[in-house]
Amino acid sequence: MNLIIGGAYQGKLEYARERFGLSDEDICLCSEDRQPDLSKSCLYHVEQFVMLCMKNGRDPALELADWQKEHKDGLLICEDIFCGVVPTDRQTRLWREATGRFMSWAAREAESVTRIFCGLPQKIK
Amino acid sequence: MKVLISGGVKNGKTYHAQRLAKALSGKGPLYYIATMAPVDREDDERIARHIAEREGWGFETIECPTDIMSCVYRGRPEGVFLLDSTTALLANEMFSKDGSVDHSAAERVAEELRAFASCVEGIVVVSDSIYSDAQTYSELTQEYRISLAYIDRALAKSFDAVYEVCCGKIICHKGSLLEGYGKESLENKENKVQGGKV
Repeated sequence: MNLIIGGAYQGKLEYARERFGLSDEDICLCSEDRQPDLSKSCLYHVEQFVMLCMKNGRDPALELADWQKEHKDGLLICEDIFCGVVPTDRQTRLWREATGRFMSWAAREAESVTRIFCGLPQKIK
Repeated sequence: MKVLISGGVKNGKTYHAQRLAKALSGKGPLYYIATMAPVDREDDERIARHIAEREGWGFETIECPTDIMSCVYRGRPEGVFLLDSTTALLANEMFSKDGSVDHSAAERVAEELRAFASCVEGIVVVSDSIYSDAQTYSELTQEYRISLAYIDRALAKSFDAVYEVCCGKIICHKGSLLEGYGKESLENKENKVQGGKV
Protein backbone atom coordinates (compact mmCIF):
# COMPACT_ATOMS: atom_id res chain seq x y z
CA MET A 1 0.00 0.00 0.00
CA ASN A 2 1.13 3.53 -0.77
CA LEU A 3 -0.11 6.85 0.59
CA ILE A 4 -0.31 10.32 -0.84
CA ILE A 5 -1.16 13.21 1.48
CA GLY A 6 -1.36 16.93 0.82
CA GLY A 7 -3.48 20.05 1.14
CA ALA A 8 -6.43 20.78 -1.12
CA TYR A 9 -5.68 21.50 -4.80
CA GLN A 10 -1.98 20.65 -4.52
CA GLY A 11 -1.97 18.22 -7.45
CA LYS A 12 -2.17 14.91 -5.55
CA LEU A 13 -4.20 13.03 -8.16
CA GLU A 14 -2.17 14.34 -11.07
CA TYR A 15 0.99 13.15 -9.35
CA ALA A 16 -0.60 9.75 -8.56
CA ARG A 17 -1.62 9.24 -12.19
CA GLU A 18 1.88 9.96 -13.36
CA ARG A 19 3.85 7.97 -10.78
CA PHE A 20 1.62 4.89 -10.63
CA GLY A 21 0.36 5.00 -14.22
CA LEU A 22 -3.28 5.14 -13.11
CA SER A 23 -6.20 5.54 -15.49
CA ASP A 24 -9.78 6.56 -14.61
CA GLU A 25 -10.80 2.88 -14.23
CA ASP A 26 -8.31 2.43 -11.38
CA ILE A 27 -9.64 5.31 -9.30
CA CYS A 28 -12.55 5.35 -6.86
CA LEU A 29 -13.69 8.80 -5.74
CA CYS A 30 -14.81 8.27 -2.14
CA SER A 31 -17.94 9.88 -0.74
CA GLU A 32 -19.43 10.19 2.72
CA ASP A 33 -22.77 9.06 1.26
CA ARG A 34 -22.00 5.75 -0.44
CA GLN A 35 -19.81 2.67 -0.15
CA PRO A 36 -16.59 2.93 -2.17
CA ASP A 37 -15.93 0.52 -5.04
CA LEU A 38 -13.23 -1.57 -3.39
CA SER A 39 -12.38 -3.36 -6.64
CA LYS A 40 -10.41 -0.21 -7.52
CA SER A 41 -6.75 0.00 -6.55
CA CYS A 42 -6.79 3.74 -5.79
CA LEU A 43 -9.09 5.31 -3.21
CA TYR A 44 -9.17 9.07 -3.78
CA HIS A 45 -10.40 11.45 -1.05
CA VAL A 46 -10.14 8.64 1.46
CA GLU A 47 -10.97 11.17 4.21
CA GLN A 48 -14.55 11.05 2.86
CA PHE A 49 -14.52 7.28 3.30
CA VAL A 50 -13.49 7.85 6.93
CA MET A 51 -16.53 10.12 7.35
CA LEU A 52 -18.77 7.38 5.91
CA CYS A 53 -17.32 4.84 8.37
CA MET A 54 -17.78 7.27 11.23
CA LYS A 55 -21.46 7.77 10.35
CA ASN A 56 -21.93 3.99 10.29
CA GLY A 57 -19.93 3.38 13.47
CA ARG A 58 -17.26 1.34 11.68
CA ASP A 59 -13.48 1.26 11.81
CA PRO A 60 -12.07 2.38 8.44
CA ALA A 61 -8.88 0.33 8.94
CA LEU A 62 -10.90 -2.88 9.47
CA GLU A 63 -13.14 -2.01 6.54
CA LEU A 64 -10.08 -1.89 4.29
CA ALA A 65 -8.48 -5.13 5.52
CA ASP A 66 -9.61 -7.18 2.50
CA TRP A 67 -8.91 -4.35 0.08
CA GLN A 68 -5.38 -4.17 1.43
CA LYS A 69 -4.82 -7.92 0.82
CA GLU A 70 -6.28 -7.79 -2.67
CA HIS A 71 -4.37 -4.68 -3.71
CA LYS A 72 -0.78 -5.08 -2.58
CA ASP A 73 0.14 -1.96 -4.56
CA GLY A 74 -3.02 -0.11 -3.60
CA LEU A 75 -2.99 3.64 -3.20
CA LEU A 76 -4.78 5.87 -0.70
CA ILE A 77 -4.98 9.59 -1.45
CA CYS A 78 -5.96 11.79 1.48
CA GLU A 79 -6.49 15.53 1.79
CA ASP A 80 -4.60 17.18 4.62
CA ILE A 81 -7.45 18.47 6.79
CA PHE A 82 -5.42 18.61 9.97
CA CYS A 83 -3.89 22.06 10.29
CA GLY A 84 -6.81 24.44 10.83
CA VAL A 85 -8.39 25.70 14.01
CA VAL A 86 -10.31 23.02 15.96
CA PRO A 87 -13.70 22.89 14.19
CA THR A 88 -16.64 24.10 16.28
CA ASP A 89 -18.93 21.54 14.65
CA ARG A 90 -18.75 18.29 16.64
CA GLN A 91 -19.00 15.93 13.68
CA THR A 92 -16.29 17.78 11.74
CA ARG A 93 -14.10 17.74 14.83
CA LEU A 94 -14.49 14.00 15.36
CA TRP A 95 -14.05 13.34 11.65
CA ARG A 96 -10.78 15.25 11.60
CA GLU A 97 -9.47 13.23 14.53
CA ALA A 98 -10.69 9.91 13.10
CA THR A 99 -8.96 10.72 9.79
CA GLY A 100 -5.75 11.60 11.61
CA ARG A 101 -5.77 8.29 13.49
CA PHE A 102 -6.64 6.40 10.32
CA MET A 103 -3.81 8.01 8.37
CA SER A 104 -1.32 7.27 11.14
CA TRP A 105 -2.34 3.61 10.94
CA ALA A 106 -2.17 3.66 7.14
CA ALA A 107 1.28 5.28 7.19
CA ARG A 108 2.60 2.54 9.47
CA GLU A 109 1.27 -0.09 7.06
CA ALA A 110 2.37 1.69 3.90
CA GLU A 111 5.51 1.08 1.87
CA SER A 112 5.67 4.71 0.89
CA VAL A 113 4.17 7.99 2.04
CA THR A 114 4.44 11.04 -0.18
CA ARG A 115 3.35 14.57 0.63
CA ILE A 116 2.47 16.90 -2.25
CA PHE A 117 3.26 20.62 -1.92
CA CYS A 118 2.53 22.99 -4.84
CA GLY A 119 2.50 19.94 -7.16
CA LEU A 120 5.90 18.75 -5.92
CA PRO A 121 6.42 15.41 -4.12
CA GLN A 122 8.15 15.17 -0.75
CA LYS A 123 9.08 11.69 0.40
CA ILE A 124 8.00 11.19 4.01
CA LYS A 125 8.45 7.40 4.13
CA MET B 1 17.05 32.68 -10.26
CA LYS B 2 13.31 32.37 -9.68
CA VAL B 3 12.06 31.20 -6.30
CA LEU B 4 8.64 30.48 -4.82
CA ILE B 5 8.31 30.59 -1.03
CA SER B 6 5.18 29.42 0.74
CA GLY B 7 4.08 28.17 4.15
CA GLY B 8 1.91 29.11 7.10
CA VAL B 9 1.23 32.60 8.38
CA LYS B 10 3.89 34.32 10.58
CA ASN B 11 6.34 31.45 10.04
CA GLY B 12 9.10 33.60 8.56
CA LYS B 13 8.34 33.54 4.83
CA THR B 14 8.90 37.26 4.29
CA TYR B 15 12.04 37.30 6.40
CA HIS B 16 13.60 34.49 4.37
CA ALA B 17 12.33 35.98 1.11
CA GLN B 18 14.04 39.30 1.97
CA ARG B 19 17.32 37.63 2.87
CA LEU B 20 17.21 35.45 -0.21
CA ALA B 21 16.41 38.36 -2.54
CA LYS B 22 19.24 40.38 -1.02
CA ALA B 23 21.69 37.48 -1.41
CA LEU B 24 20.60 36.98 -5.02
CA SER B 25 20.94 40.64 -5.95
CA GLY B 26 24.56 40.97 -4.85
CA LYS B 27 25.26 44.64 -5.47
CA GLY B 28 22.51 44.98 -8.11
CA PRO B 29 19.17 46.75 -7.70
CA LEU B 30 16.72 45.26 -5.24
CA TYR B 31 12.98 45.84 -5.40
CA TYR B 32 10.12 45.07 -3.08
CA ILE B 33 6.78 44.75 -4.88
CA ALA B 34 4.15 45.66 -2.31
CA THR B 35 0.79 44.19 -3.32
CA MET B 36 -1.45 45.09 -0.43
CA ALA B 37 -4.23 47.57 -1.19
CA PRO B 38 -5.00 48.87 2.32
CA VAL B 39 -8.67 49.07 3.25
CA ASP B 40 -8.53 49.92 6.94
CA ARG B 41 -6.31 50.99 9.84
CA GLU B 42 -5.27 47.44 10.57
CA ASP B 43 -3.83 47.22 7.04
CA ASP B 44 -2.08 50.58 7.46
CA GLU B 45 -0.45 49.35 10.66
CA ARG B 46 0.55 46.08 8.99
CA ILE B 47 2.14 47.98 6.11
CA ALA B 48 3.97 50.34 8.48
CA ARG B 49 5.36 47.30 10.30
CA HIS B 50 6.51 45.72 7.03
CA ILE B 51 8.19 48.96 5.94
CA ALA B 52 9.99 49.19 9.30
CA GLU B 53 11.14 45.59 8.95
CA ARG B 54 12.59 46.29 5.51
CA GLU B 55 14.51 49.34 6.68
CA GLY B 56 18.20 49.15 5.93
CA TRP B 57 17.85 46.14 3.61
CA GLY B 58 18.29 48.26 0.48
CA PHE B 59 14.90 47.60 -1.07
CA GLU B 60 13.25 50.11 -3.33
CA THR B 61 9.49 49.71 -2.85
CA ILE B 62 7.17 49.47 -5.84
CA GLU B 63 3.50 49.73 -4.95
CA CYS B 64 1.66 47.38 -7.25
CA PRO B 65 -1.69 46.00 -6.08
CA THR B 66 -2.68 44.89 -9.62
CA ASP B 67 -1.17 44.50 -13.11
CA ILE B 68 2.19 43.02 -12.22
CA MET B 69 3.58 43.53 -15.72
CA SER B 70 3.67 47.29 -15.06
CA CYS B 71 6.64 46.61 -12.74
CA VAL B 72 8.76 45.87 -15.81
CA TYR B 73 8.85 49.60 -16.46
CA ARG B 74 9.22 50.63 -12.84
CA GLY B 75 12.41 48.72 -12.03
CA ARG B 76 15.55 47.69 -13.88
CA PRO B 77 15.44 44.20 -15.44
CA GLU B 78 18.88 43.31 -14.06
CA GLY B 79 17.44 43.70 -10.58
CA VAL B 80 16.00 41.19 -8.16
CA PHE B 81 12.30 41.59 -7.30
CA LEU B 82 10.60 40.37 -4.17
CA LEU B 83 6.85 39.99 -4.65
CA ASP B 84 4.91 39.75 -1.40
CA SER B 85 2.41 38.20 -1.96
CA THR B 86 0.45 36.28 -4.61
CA THR B 87 -2.28 35.97 -1.99
CA ALA B 88 -2.92 39.73 -1.95
CA LEU B 89 -2.27 40.14 -5.68
CA LEU B 90 -4.86 37.49 -6.56
CA ALA B 91 -7.42 38.99 -4.17
CA ASN B 92 -6.95 42.41 -5.79
CA GLU B 93 -7.18 40.97 -9.30
CA MET B 94 -10.11 38.67 -8.57
CA PHE B 95 -12.36 40.89 -6.46
CA SER B 96 -13.09 44.41 -7.69
CA LYS B 97 -14.23 47.26 -5.48
CA ASP B 98 -17.55 47.34 -7.35
CA GLY B 99 -18.24 43.81 -6.12
CA SER B 100 -17.62 42.04 -9.40
CA VAL B 101 -15.54 38.85 -9.56
CA ASP B 102 -13.09 37.92 -12.28
CA HIS B 103 -13.45 34.15 -12.59
CA SER B 104 -10.50 33.89 -14.96
CA ALA B 105 -8.08 35.68 -12.60
CA ALA B 106 -6.10 32.51 -11.75
CA GLU B 107 -4.97 31.78 -15.32
CA ARG B 108 -4.37 35.45 -16.06
CA VAL B 109 -2.32 36.20 -12.93
CA ALA B 110 -0.29 32.98 -13.29
CA GLU B 111 0.51 33.90 -16.89
CA GLU B 112 1.41 37.50 -16.00
CA LEU B 113 3.66 36.35 -13.16
CA ARG B 114 5.45 33.90 -15.42
CA ALA B 115 5.85 36.57 -18.10
CA PHE B 116 7.15 39.11 -15.58
CA ALA B 117 9.56 36.56 -14.08
CA SER B 118 11.00 35.88 -17.53
CA CYS B 119 11.72 39.61 -18.00
CA VAL B 120 13.87 40.07 -14.90
CA GLU B 121 17.14 38.71 -13.55
CA GLY B 122 15.76 37.38 -10.29
CA ILE B 123 12.45 37.06 -8.53
CA VAL B 124 11.31 35.75 -5.17
CA VAL B 125 7.56 35.25 -4.86
CA VAL B 126 5.82 34.73 -1.53
CA SER B 127 2.56 32.79 -1.28
CA ASP B 128 0.49 31.30 1.54
CA SER B 129 -0.45 27.71 2.28
CA ILE B 130 -4.18 27.85 2.97
CA TYR B 131 -5.07 24.30 2.02
CA SER B 132 -4.83 22.11 5.08
CA ASP B 133 -7.90 22.36 7.26
CA ALA B 134 -11.28 20.69 7.71
CA GLN B 135 -13.41 23.81 7.22
CA THR B 136 -16.18 24.18 4.69
CA TYR B 137 -15.84 27.46 2.84
CA SER B 138 -18.31 29.54 0.86
CA GLU B 139 -18.31 28.97 -2.89
CA LEU B 140 -16.42 32.19 -3.54
CA THR B 141 -13.72 31.49 -0.92
CA GLN B 142 -13.40 27.99 -2.34
CA GLU B 143 -12.87 29.48 -5.81
CA TYR B 144 -10.23 31.80 -4.39
CA ARG B 145 -8.37 28.86 -2.79
CA ILE B 146 -8.51 26.88 -6.05
CA SER B 147 -7.21 29.93 -7.90
CA LEU B 148 -4.32 30.57 -5.52
CA ALA B 149 -3.35 26.88 -5.62
CA TYR B 150 -3.39 27.06 -9.42
CA ILE B 151 -0.95 29.99 -9.36
CA ASP B 152 1.27 28.24 -6.78
CA ARG B 153 1.49 25.10 -8.91
CA ALA B 154 2.12 27.05 -12.11
CA LEU B 155 5.00 28.98 -10.50
CA ALA B 156 6.38 25.85 -8.79
CA LYS B 157 6.52 24.17 -12.17
CA SER B 158 8.34 26.94 -14.02
CA PHE B 159 10.54 28.39 -11.23
CA ASP B 160 14.03 27.14 -10.29
CA ALA B 161 13.38 26.60 -6.62
CA VAL B 162 10.43 26.08 -4.26
CA TYR B 163 10.83 26.49 -0.51
CA GLU B 164 8.36 25.90 2.28
CA VAL B 165 8.99 27.88 5.44
CA CYS B 166 7.90 26.21 8.67
CA CYS B 167 8.68 27.67 12.11
CA GLY B 168 11.32 29.86 10.51
CA LYS B 169 13.04 26.85 8.92
CA ILE B 170 13.30 26.18 5.20
CA ILE B 171 12.17 22.93 3.59
CA CYS B 172 13.45 22.74 0.02
CA HIS B 173 10.94 21.12 -2.36
CA LYS B 174 12.68 21.99 -5.64
CA GLY B 175 16.10 23.22 -6.66
CA SER B 176 18.74 23.78 -4.05
CA LEU B 177 19.43 26.33 -1.38
CA LEU B 178 21.59 29.20 -2.46
CA GLU B 179 25.28 28.65 -1.69
CA GLY B 180 26.14 30.18 1.64
CA TYR B 181 22.63 31.46 2.25
CA GLY B 182 20.99 28.13 2.90
CA LYS B 183 23.48 26.80 5.38
CA GLU B 184 23.34 29.88 7.49
CA SER B 185 19.56 30.06 7.38
CA LEU B 186 19.08 26.40 8.26
CA GLU B 187 21.17 26.94 11.31
CA ASN B 188 19.75 30.38 11.87
CA LYS B 189 20.03 31.02 15.53
CA GLU B 190 18.61 34.47 15.63
CA ASN B 191 15.73 34.54 13.24
CA LYS B 192 14.46 38.10 13.54
CA VAL B 193 10.89 37.01 12.89
CA GLN B 194 11.01 34.65 15.82
CA GLY B 195 12.82 37.27 17.83
CA GLY B 196 9.55 38.83 18.84
CA LYS B 197 9.24 41.60 16.28
CA VAL B 198 5.85 40.42 15.08
